[in-house]
Amino acid sequence: MEFPAALFPSYFSAGPPREEGGPAPVAGWGEHGQVLEGGPGRRQAQPAFVPRRGATGERWEAADAAAVPVLLPSAGCWIPSPAPQDILYRSGLFKKLRAGKSGATLDFARQLGHFFVDHPEDAFGSLGRLLHKNFYLGNSKLKRPARNSTIRMTALVEDIDRLEARRGCPRQHLASRLRWFSHLCRDWLFEVPLGLLADCLHEELMLQWSNLLFDDSLTGGALAWLPLGDGGTPVGRLVYPGGQAMNHLFFQDVVLEELPHTRGSPAQFELSGRVRQVAAARVDGEDFIGVRSDYHCGVWRVPGRTGAAPTPLQVIHTDVPASCLTVSPHLPGELSVCTQSGTVYLWNVETGLQQLRYGPQTMFFRDHSPWRWSDFTAHPRVLSCADRTGLQCLDARAPKKCHFDLFKVGEEAGCQQGERVVLPMYLGRAHPSQYLVTTQFSMYVLDERLPLVPILKWAHMMKAPPLFAHVMPGNPGRSHKVLLGASRTQELLLLQYRGKRSTIWVRAPLCLHPSLLIAGTSCCWRLCSRAGFWGVSSGGSQSACQLAGTPQKLHSIAGCLQHLPTQLPHRHHLLQQRLTAPATGMAATLQEDGPHKSMLVFQLSEAGDVFCQRLTHKATQPSAPPSRDEATTAPGSSPLFKAPPSPVVLSPAAALQYRRWLRAFHRACREPPRHTWPPSLSQRRLFTRRDLEGPEGPTTLQRQMRQRLRQAMQEGGRIQCWEPLALQPPPLPQTLEPAGGLDPLSARLTAAWAGDWEQWWEERTSFSVAQKQRALRERRRQQKRARGRRSLSASFTSSLTYQSELSELSDAGPPLLSPGRPHVFSQEGSPPAGSPPVCSPPTSPVPDEALLSSQSLRCRGIPKERRKTLRDYLSVWAEGPPEPPEPPGSQASQLCIPSSQSQPCIPSSQTQLSSASQPRHKRPRMGF
Amino acid sequence: SSNEHKLNFKKSKEACLSYIQDALLQKQWERAAEFLTCYVESLEKDYSREHIGPSEMIWRIGTEILWHHSHSSMKEFNCFMEQMKTLGVKRYLKVCLEHVFHLLCNGQIDEAYQNLSLAESWRFGEQTAIQDKEMKLIQAYRGLLDYCSWSKQKNILLEHGEDVFSDLAVEQEMHGYFRKAAVNLKEIIKIPGVWDVFVKCYVDLLEFYGDHNEARQVLNEYAYNSKFPANPNAHVYLYQFLKRQGESKKSLISALKILHDIVPSHELMIDFNTMLQKSKKRKKRRLGLEVIFAALDYAGWKENAKAWSCLARQVKQIVISEKHLDWIKQEWNSRKDWWPAFHFSRYLAKRNWQEDKSLSYEKALVAGILLGKGCKYFKHVSHQGCKAQLKRFRMLKKFVNRHNPVYLRISG
Repeated sequence: MEFPAALFPSYFSAGPPREEGGPAPVAGWGEHGQVLEGGPGRRQAQPAFVPRRGATGERWEAADAAAVPVLLPSAGCWIPSPAPQDILYRSGLFKKLRAGKSGATLDFARQLGHFFVDHPEDAFGSLGRLLHKNFYLGNSKLKRPARNSTIRMTALVEDIDRLEARRGCPRQHLASRLRWFSHLCRDWLFEVPLGLLADCLHEELMLQWSNLLFDDSLTGGALAWLPLGDGGTPVGRLVYPGGQAMNHLFFQDVVLEELPHTRGSPAQFELSGRVRQVAAARVDGEDFIGVRSDYHCGVWRVPGRTGAAPTPLQVIHTDVPASCLTVSPHLPGELSVCTQSGTVYLWNVETGLQQLRYGPQTMFFRDHSPWRWSDFTAHPRVLSCADRTGLQCLDARAPKKCHFDLFKVGEEAGCQQGERVVLPMYLGRAHPSQYLVTTQFSMYVLDERLPLVPILKWAHMMKAPPLFAHVMPGNPGRSHKVLLGASRTQELLLLQYRGKRSTIWVRAPLCLHPSLLIAGTSCCWRLCSRAGFWGVSSGGSQSACQLAGTPQKLHSIAGCLQHLPTQLPHRHHLLQQRLTAPATGMAATLQEDGPHKSMLVFQLSEAGDVFCQRLTHKATQPSAPPSRDEATTAPGSSPLFKAPPSPVVLSPAAALQYRRWLRAFHRACREPPRHTWPPSLSQRRLFTRRDLEGPEGPTTLQRQMRQRLRQAMQEGGRIQCWEPLALQPPPLPQTLEPAGGLDPLSARLTAAWAGDWEQWWEERTSFSVAQKQRALRERRRQQKRARGRRSLSASFTSSLTYQSELSELSDAGPPLLSPGRPHVFSQEGSPPAGSPPVCSPPTSPVPDEALLSSQSLRCRGIPKERRKTLRDYLSVWAEGPPEPPEPPGSQASQLCIPSSQSQPCIPSSQTQLSSASQPRHKRPRMGF
Repeated sequence: SSNEHKLNFKKSKEACLSYIQDALLQKQWERAAEFLTCYVESLEKDYSREHIGPSEMIWRIGTEILWHHSHSSMKEFNCFMEQMKTLGVKRYLKVCLEHVFHLLCNGQIDEAYQNLSLAESWRFGEQTAIQDKEMKLIQAYRGLLDYCSWSKQKNILLEHGEDVFSDLAVEQEMHGYFRKAAVNLKEIIKIPGVWDVFVKCYVDLLEFYGDHNEARQVLNEYAYNSKFPANPNAHVYLYQFLKRQGESKKSLISALKILHDIVPSHELMIDFNTMLQKSKKRKKRRLGLEVIFAALDYAGWKENAKAWSCLARQVKQIVISEKHLDWIKQEWNSRKDWWPAFHFSRYLAKRNWQEDKSLSYEKALVAGILLGKGCKYFKHVSHQGCKAQLKRFRMLKKFVNRHNPVYLRISG
């Protein structure tokens, strides 16, 4: 490849960047930059100048009004990653206080509070268990003997609530009780020392926040397009991550007709981590796909013909998260890997890893970012290494000795202060020695043969830093197309640049220009190429790099929202959330079908959606550059700008595709059941399978009952009442011992292990008659309730049929613990041996309300998170259509069980009972 | 409430700007122009202390729109530019330069020249470093245009060489242009930078007037001053100058040697290799082999038939003479683990054969010698060649078979 005979003039100086600056919204417009004499070898030419920017480019127009989905949304809901409002402090008062100041405040206290509420076991487990006898959450006054060892927490909780209400109020000393309490127990109450916990939480919050501001793990993008060179119908293969955790890799054949559509089912690989980057390169007719997740990198080989299956070749594991994986365009099975520890490896599938560089220091000046990048160069043994401060090229054969600086954030490239490298990319497909470097402000094209001095620089004006780039080489004489993509804002920008002497730089013969004639210049500057311009005329076919045409914004995924049919508000919200998810990848391909050229651009979002848009090439008549004298461009005659702007209405095919996608989307996002149906709920969303597993075999009681029933049937008699059996004082050891029959010691030990030792002891020693009777009464009631229900699902589902009552109460703060819950848990399978098994209420000495309280639930070993989940779920249920609240793990199947509707309802008296006996809003705080 | 008003104004300004930006990025010039007329109001209360103020924005956006708007004319453009020049003192020179660039790109050389002269005479207080640079550029471009005029006059002279009387005035004028151009061009090329065009013009002037020493000095400075970037063109110009001057082979070789050191993939490496191969000195021929091997390392040279034939010729020579096989061995050592996959894969054998028979011939020769007759590339090409009954491929097969032991010595 020849070096341009002359480069655009530019100053060169070394040192740190001097120009102050920042994001400039329009910095890329209206500048030619520099000019250069061009047009060698033409006869009868006067010196013609070409600008560095502003030359005419090819004209590409969007074929449709918006991007169109390629894949249908996969089943299962997508969980949006945290948004700024989730972790930022938002309070009216605070906003006022901080008005004018820049910077965000992380809501640390709220997050810590969330942690305490969501993970009380982890926060206060052991002491909470020890102390729960001594803390009372009821409203009634404590009786004398109890008062000695128990304190009433209700007042404290009220104080906390009040504190919440006047957050920011300077008169906080009023909450002396709280201060007293926190002073008393700050040191010992917490399972993890508070300082340590706070440090960890703060660290995590900072991490989340910085990821929200700029997530560099996505650099490079996780979408690749592999063209299949078969001829005939244009087919290609899309490589993208999917699944709820984005840990599945799909290879999907796609046919490029008017709208691209999938063909066959995709090849699928399950990986052990979220796919961050998919890189691809074609060597010797085969595609090599590098896939990067945080701690694993893998490489696949895909033969370049249709139907050939992708084969995984090798996987490496890194101790530190990998930040880069690129595939060599020169040698098969060669990749480069960078980790956040600053190590750069050359990875050959056959020979393994070769470390090229090590060290956490950045190259040119100090920068805290651990991000590293590496790519290949024109020389297969020379790799470029990048950090935020610049790029260096290393020779893999002698990495310590042979290296040179390719790009520096500094005065050399005319950078601004604060500018950092965001994405370097080898442009080998367009030009073997050119390199693209993007920063948050500008894009640079570099030539390895002239390091440090960008041969092209342009302020790209994107709102978010471009994390993705794709180059589509133009044939000789045509411009190369570069696509830049941002993540958070989903921006896509199409640029064109020209590196070769183009044949389409056609001008009207300038010597006929009237203005020149008027100006009195002789019409022909006959330049004898032999005598003058020796360099220019002998310069060969290579010209300096210039930007062609204007940058063009392409459709983003979010842009299609306005073309979708009108939705119900909540659906609209879901849709909006889905469509505005950050982009995580970009791919593009040029398709030439005779004279029709088109470009297909794919964009992948964090939700796993792949959208596609087609741009068609409009041939421009060889016309003069647009802004010329009136003489050449008669008003309104320019063919360039009279064409209608890009379509504003969707094509029918696209509309159909949208409808299909929407249908699948709503199906996937599981709408609430129609209101005509009685509300029902699946318990599977709340409990894992293990929770739901019934006890092994029927319990003793069930067995007895069955036996009696069978006996009665055989005898043809009837059972007068079930009571007699139940009236027997519950044999304590039996209830405590499951089928295996534990000796007292092991029973005690198991009880202690489960944290219920105290209770066990109490039951064992002081088992008063009154308590026993009360327990019996309770159990009788239980049995009544339980009649006719044998399965947990039934009991639970039916417990929700009193939805209306519940929702009436739901305005009283957090939802109540549902009265149905004791049943749920009483039947829950395989509790620890020491905890009371099925139908154990008699063993419980606490009265009804205590039974329903959180303490009693917890003493049965019910994890608190479950309760919270249930509570949250019910509250959502009571308030309106549920959003998809479930973590991916528990989504096996969420269909409601229709049979549950036939189950008997809980008598409404129960709800009354519970609402009467249970203090409202008993949301447990601080793990009590 | 004035504060609120200020905030609202700022907000609507930003909104307007984002509309303009959107329109520009979608090439809706008419729409952008309409918004811009509203945005002009932002000049009224310019409280911003941002990097780019509203006046600069208007200049940039307006320029961009006028470049592309279907109804814009050069007259309007000039008018707009004149207004923009008065809008900001700090930006005056920059706007002037851009205006000149636009005029130049549209072939209005004389207008451009006038504008440059005007800008050059502009004075306003103390100049900042950036303004200083811009002023130098303005002068340099003026020098360039002077050079163009000079060159035009020169051509007139050369064409009408016999007509002595009318030439005197032309010659006078030409010398005038020379002086003006030389002064300005000389200035800019002293400052570190990439000044290919200016250097070339200046050297051309000097050469015409026979000041070869000065020209040589300028080119040496441009190529070897360490403050300048490592511009391959600087070395190319020097080499071409030396060649024009009929300098000795030795100085040409030393110039190219430096170019080889900084850009081993430069296209002049073929000339360099040819020159070195012809040399009688062993060291030079050895260097020639190194040069061609190094050039072929680069992806851009992969399918360069000329380079492959250079390598094939030299390798063949060495093999036939059976002297200096160690040269090949040494070069091959650092490449034997990746050249086979990079150059001599089966896929490439097929493709090269289909696309360029002579390239595949040269490559097959090299592959046969370096990798032996069992090499995939050689086997495929020679087989295809023999099948197509091409004589040179049969010869090639014979040659490689005869010299197969060489391969063992190279790789051993």
